[in-house]
Amino acid sequence: MRARDVIRFSFDGVQMLAYPGDTLVSALYAGGKRSWRKSRPGDERGLLCGMGICFDCVLSVDGVSNVRACQTLVRDGMVVATNMVS
Amino acid sequence: MEESEIIVIGGGPGGLSAALAAARAGAQVTLIDAYAHPGGQYYHQPPERLAEHSNAHQRQGQKVLSTVKAAGVRIVSETLVSSISPDKTLVCNSPQVAYLQKAKRIIIASGAYEQPLPFPGWTLPGVLMTGGIQTLLHQHVLPGKRVLLTGTGPLQLVVAKNLIQAGAEVVAVLEGNQLIKSSGLRATAMWGQWERMAEGLQSFLTMMTNGVPYQLGWGIVEAHGTNEVTGATIALLDQDWRPVKGTEQEVICDTIGTAYGFVPFNSLSKIAGAQQAWHPELGGEVPIRNEYFETTIPGIYAIGDGAGIGGFWMSEMEGELAGIWAAKQLGHEKQPADVAITHVRSRIRRKNRFQRLYADLFNPGPGAFEMVKDDTIVCRCENITYARLREAILTGDLTPQEIKNDIRTSMGRCQGRVCSRMVLHTLARMSGKTVAEIGMFGVRPPVFPLSIGVLASLDVE
Repeated sequence: MRARDVIRFSFDGVQMLAYPGDTLVSALYAGGKRSWRKSRPGDERGLLCGMGICFDCVLSVDGVSNVRACQTLVRDGMVVATNMVS
Repeated sequence: MEESEIIVIGGGPGGLSAALAAARAGAQVTLIDAYAHPGGQYYHQPPERLAEHSNAHQRQGQKVLSTVKAAGVRIVSETLVSSISPDKTLVCNSPQVAYLQKAKRIIIASGAYEQPLPFPGWTLPGVLMTGGIQTLLHQHVLPGKRVLLTGTGPLQLVVAKNLIQAGAEVVAVLEGNQLIKSSGLRATAMWGQWERMAEGLQSFLTMMTNGVPYQLGWGIVEAHGTNEVTGATIALLDQDWRPVKGTEQEVICDTIGTAYGFVPFNSLSKIAGAQQAWHPELGGEVPIRNEYFETTIPGIYAIGDGAGIGGFWMSEMEGELAGIWAAKQLGHEKQPADVAITHVRSRIRRKNRFQRLYADLFNPGPGAFEMVKDDTIVCRCENITYARLREAILTGDLTPQEIKNDIRTSMGRCQGRVCSRMVLHTLARMSGKTVAEIGMFGVRPPVFPLSIGVLASLDVE
């Protein structure tokens, strides 16, 4: 993979890399992150079904909350954050 | 409002087959699919950069897809259908906009989803359903380094093989059913289903050559970890899937994959008002259909796993039959429809026998619904614990609707897809009824959450 084929996005302010065609789930996992939501204090959540059914992997993408990480392709410059709504 | 002749909902093998059959008969067909590329879970397409690594299913899917496109089917991707009314008006929503669409005939091919089941620790990151594992592997990303697979069914073997080939270590595959003791293998039902057994066998051999233990009659009792999975307790299960005391063992792993079978996604036919019935051998609640797979709402058909778990071949055949018939109803017929339908029917009968055996062998036992502690979360959306569910039932909630109104199970984002089965089984057990007697939760639009912005774009004129 050449450098120009890599796209960049940020997660909670931290720069991360992805390949075109990556979903947010695969990019976050590849970047070593397996949880990206706190359901309540001390209760980390991440990927569960991977099929768009359970909505456990939701996060905030470019200011929109409740976006399913498993169903969202990474775009260059995407601003991703921990989900704002519980 | 736009009106189509035939709308097929769902781009998996069943939906593609229905669309192709109808289009070949001469009908004008629109296929609406939720994902970026049609194919469903079975034909799930890899990202472009990994296209050269496509596996057999993916290559087959590419072929089918180009045939479907060549037949003139219009494909609408990344669009969810969130409601259907009995007059065959659909509420569709793409990521940006919601709109209404009418059709003369609707074929629902919405597929199935994996049955999640709670156990202590199951909300820890690293506990995934097999679909979650496959999603990562499709992108050439590993879910973890040491994976424990638990649940039931041959899908576990396929996932184990995929994990091993991708470079992960599979600690063990726990099959909750004892298989050999349960119903025995019935040769007549297996006879002729070679392609179906070949994949399982091939996966099994990969496991064996890599020294992965396949433990019949074992299951997970608890997942351990603080911020993510670091291990699990497993135990021998009795025939009802209840752990046998004193057999517990500790396993070190960073990932746990669960496979508890599939649930038909019947919400769309249900929301349209089609009558449903409880059929455990078909995966639970499914629409009642006639011999052409038409639901009790005239002109609305339901085929494939969403109308009763039958797997890939069954979905394809049901789709073909419904596609031919729906087209004929609109006056389109290139070859004699009756002949084609008789032919498909005889193939369906053979597969049906195999499917019944399969459902018999690989069903989670009642103990699978009791593997919880008081503080185990049952409803992941609303963080409702098992203790709270039990208390609601003890204090007088006697129907799924009462429980829902009381403690909000199935009111969250997932619309009960994760917790409703567990709630039903708990209610059934505590009230001494069967799940069939209790009935399912009602379903209300939208089937998937819609943002207010998207909803506001709906032009109801």
